[in-house]
Amino acid sequence: MTEPQSFRDGLLASVPTLRAFAVSLSKNADRADDLVQETLVKAWDKQASFQPGTNLKAWLFTILRNEFYSQMRKRRREVEDSDGAITARLSVHPAQDGSSDLNDFRKALELLPEDQREAIILIGASGFSYEEAAEICGCAVGTIKSRVSRARNRLQDILGISGEGDFGPDPATSQITTTIVA
Amino acid sequence: MSGMNYKNPGRNRGQGRDVAVTDPLGNNTEIGRKLKQYYDELVTPDIPDRFNDLLKELEKHEQPQTVTEE
Repeated sequence: MTEPQSFRDGLLASVPTLRAFAVSLSKNADRADDLVQETLVKAWDKQASFQPGTNLKAWLFTILRNEFYSQMRKRRREVEDSDGAITARLSVHPAQDGSSDLNDFRKALELLPEDQREAIILIGASGFSYEEAAEICGCAVGTIKSRVSRARNRLQDILGISGEGDFGPDPATSQITTTIVA
Repeated sequence: MSGMNYKNPGRNRGQGRDVAVTDPLGNNTEIGRKLKQYYDELVTPDIPDRFNDLLKELEKHEQPQTVTEE
């Protein structure tokens, strides 16, 4: 027997982190909130399939992610445009602008392919385990690991951070280098 | 499927000696810290009314246990 009240509270409590994930996926605050809305509706409809006691956050992230990719496919079909053009147009930075350091980081993150970006966010920021992230993304744990690792290398390249654990050079000197370390 | 190279190969920092593998995105890495900083800024505690309203609305339309068509 489900208790709608507590399920509802769980959804509501997850909104802040869902919004954060949605912004990092879609790179657009308005679109992110639409994604969250869609996620909540879907989650509500599917609540019978949620097993109480399991990870609600991971379950919601899975729904949000699926919704994001299905919307993206729809958009791609609608707008027969190059991916780059679409991405460029959708790319809107959130109003709050932190340090320029953080802005550089945000820009670098946006340069990553979606699969790498989501992987590094799930692991490095949202606090999921590799296993959970693999489940959310519907892929193998090893795939997540390699995406995270590629994402990290790419970010280090772009931001001019020499190696993990190092305090990199002044961020002002960071420039987009497209040296890809295979 | 064996988690043999959990650690980034070729980069042996000799820190976590056994199980405690160096977290490549930990707080002692620049990327790790920035990632968290970036994300924390996105996680705003206040929940816009639209989501509260939406959930109230959904609750009103609470459907019976039976699963309906897709």
